[in-house]
Amino acid sequence: MKKIYEVARWEYIEKIKTKTFIISLILTPAILILFSITPTLLTEQEVTHTKTIGIVDTSGLYINGIRDKLSEYTIKNNQPNYLVINLTSKKGSLYELKKSTDKDVINEKIEGYLLIENAGTDSVSLSYRSKSLGNHKDVKRFEAAFNENRIKLRFDKENVKPYLLDYISQSVELNQIKIEESGRETTHDFMLTFFSSFIFIMLLMMMIIYSGGMLIRSLVEEKSNRLIEILISSCTPNELLSGKILGLSALGLTQIFIWIMIGISLAGTAIVPLEAFSNVLPILVYFILGFIFYTSLFVGIGSIVTSEQEAQQITTYLSLLLVLPIIFVLPALENPDAFYIKILSYIPLTLPSFMMLRLNISPVPMWEILSTILIMIISIYLMIDFSGKIFRVGILSYGKRPTLKELSRWLKEK
Amino acid sequence: MLVVENLRKEFKNVVAVDNISFKVEEGRIFGILGPNGAGKTTTIRTVLNIIKPNWGQITFNGKPITNEFFNIIGYLPEERGLYKKSKVIEVIQYLAGLKKIPRRKAYSEAKFWLQKLELEQYIDKKIEELSKGNQQKIQFIISIIHNPKLLILDEPFTGFDPINQTIIKEIILSFVTSGKVIILSTHQMETAERLCPDILLMNKGKEVYKGTINNLKRNFGVNTVKIEFEGDAHFIGSLPVVKNIDRYSNYAEVQLNENIDPSEFLKMLVDKISIKHFSVLEPTLNKIFIDVIKQTQTQ
Repeated sequence: MKKIYEVARWEYIEKIKTKTFIISLILTPAILILFSITPTLLTEQEVTHTKTIGIVDTSGLYINGIRDKLSEYTIKNNQPNYLVINLTSKKGSLYELKKSTDKDVINEKIEGYLLIENAGTDSVSLSYRSKSLGNHKDVKRFEAAFNENRIKLRFDKENVKPYLLDYISQSVELNQIKIEESGRETTHDFMLTFFSSFIFIMLLMMMIIYSGGMLIRSLVEEKSNRLIEILISSCTPNELLSGKILGLSALGLTQIFIWIMIGISLAGTAIVPLEAFSNVLPILVYFILGFIFYTSLFVGIGSIVTSEQEAQQITTYLSLLLVLPIIFVLPALENPDAFYIKILSYIPLTLPSFMMLRLNISPVPMWEILSTILIMIISIYLMIDFSGKIFRVGILSYGKRPTLKELSRWLKEK
Repeated sequence: MLVVENLRKEFKNVVAVDNISFKVEEGRIFGILGPNGAGKTTTIRTVLNIIKPNWGQITFNGKPITNEFFNIIGYLPEERGLYKKSKVIEVIQYLAGLKKIPRRKAYSEAKFWLQKLELEQYIDKKIEELSKGNQQKIQFIISIIHNPKLLILDEPFTGFDPINQTIIKEIILSFVTSGKVIILSTHQMETAERLCPDILLMNKGKEVYKGTINNLKRNFGVNTVKIEFEGDAHFIGSLPVVKNIDRYSNYAEVQLNENIDPSEFLKMLVDKISIKHFSVLEPTLNKIFIDVIKQTQTQ
């Protein structure tokens, strides 16, 4: 036991001092925050100038209504958001008019223009022509302004009372409510669910890549300079392996602890919504178990690689397995009870991240939580045993990477 | 006393160590000699309990070597290297800790040995800042810091300059008087000749010779005498005991047949010529080594 502690202590203290650790400690949350807030920041970026929008309305029926509607939108200082100008001209054909107005757009005289083409009384087509597609918000407003106007015109014609217009234009939105067993109900917010699952899966993945890489590198170093021989003439391979796993897990816990501290201090702010912490306890358990599981896997694999390049490759492949759930976030949100999601949340390699995902989407029955945790603990035990067997032989084999056949023989060796 | 009996270790299709037995007593340095790939390192690793032999028994003071022996074994592997990015004192404390030396004791012991090897100014330096020779000295300290009862040194002198070789040699010899069991593996014959009274010569996993160096020289050395004389020495070449002669006017080197005692040969001469000088030429271990290895290879 004392020797396991010695190894763990060494691994912990030596690794915590490395630049890689400090960088990953700061960089990982920084990247996550960047990923999560940048899109919000960008879409909510304030408009600072009034946009000049042209209207070509050959019928002349809609232009005034649209102008009135659009003038309701303002940006800061009560400045209007849009300046609507009439570009309809009776001269020349529609084709020529389009051509000359397009030129105005190209020359940036106007931001873009609405083209309303009347083919008959009930057939009308609407297009917005601008240099770039996009600005979703503007286009939605134009569309709404036109449609409202169109209905209004018809209502006037049919002598329908104008207040009915408001009634029609207000459609009822469907709210999704997530019922939790405690009776608590929360609004199902796609972004939030995505974000809170995503943040933990990403953290787990990045941590495993960083520390797994670190572990393999140090094993390669110990192997290449034969330090390993001194080590295992001082303690058993199992003590060495357990010490390494323990030290690295302690390192991981330190990292999580610091991140949780950061998270708590940011909780409730725009960056980290409070709801992201609602299932934090079971998630933390899966997180730690997942980390220990992968660390033990890495120790076994690390003992058979012979160069850093090889180590890099293997780390990359393994971490891809961890990203897998991110691909499944969308389908899982649509159907959290899908069979394959359940299956994947019972396979040790993907279990931690899929359970983290499921916990965030819908309530998971207690027996499933307990059984998956049990599965994880048993898998860790088996993985340590498996890695230990490979480790024992692997650390003393230099040169060529062993074949699968050789590996299976190592596993049988007593 | 370390006793190794009928040791055999096979790797995939290769017998690395084949039926090796030897004993090492306290206060004696036992040399394991042999060319590269002879099986020295594998023998050492099995003694260290790093790998398990397919066959054979290893006991230390009557008990089989198990993991309980870790703390009394000191080992200097052939290939050197330490944690480059870590500080000298921390590396020493860690590896001493693995031998169950408390940190504080490890610190004072480290200081003592660093001073003795003139390295005290590097105590807080990183390993990579030290020269290669100094790194090796650190590794030597690590192998002895816990005062091991069984010390195994694999090529301890390679890479050291003559001054440091002498320092290391003196430390090793001081352990002899303190009654440690020491195994020294080398392919440098001079080292073995100077330090090891008993040796095991290995080739291709097999024992080629085991015993004292003196015996080896007697058994494998070419039986050659050198004589200086006055008188007619032509008759020597026709003596049945003589295999070969290299004769000058009053000086000759005579190679005798095996199992002929040089003193018998002397008796045959004294009546016929006057002998000014008579000596048995000692072959160097180096020459024996090459001869013996060649012999076993052609067999």
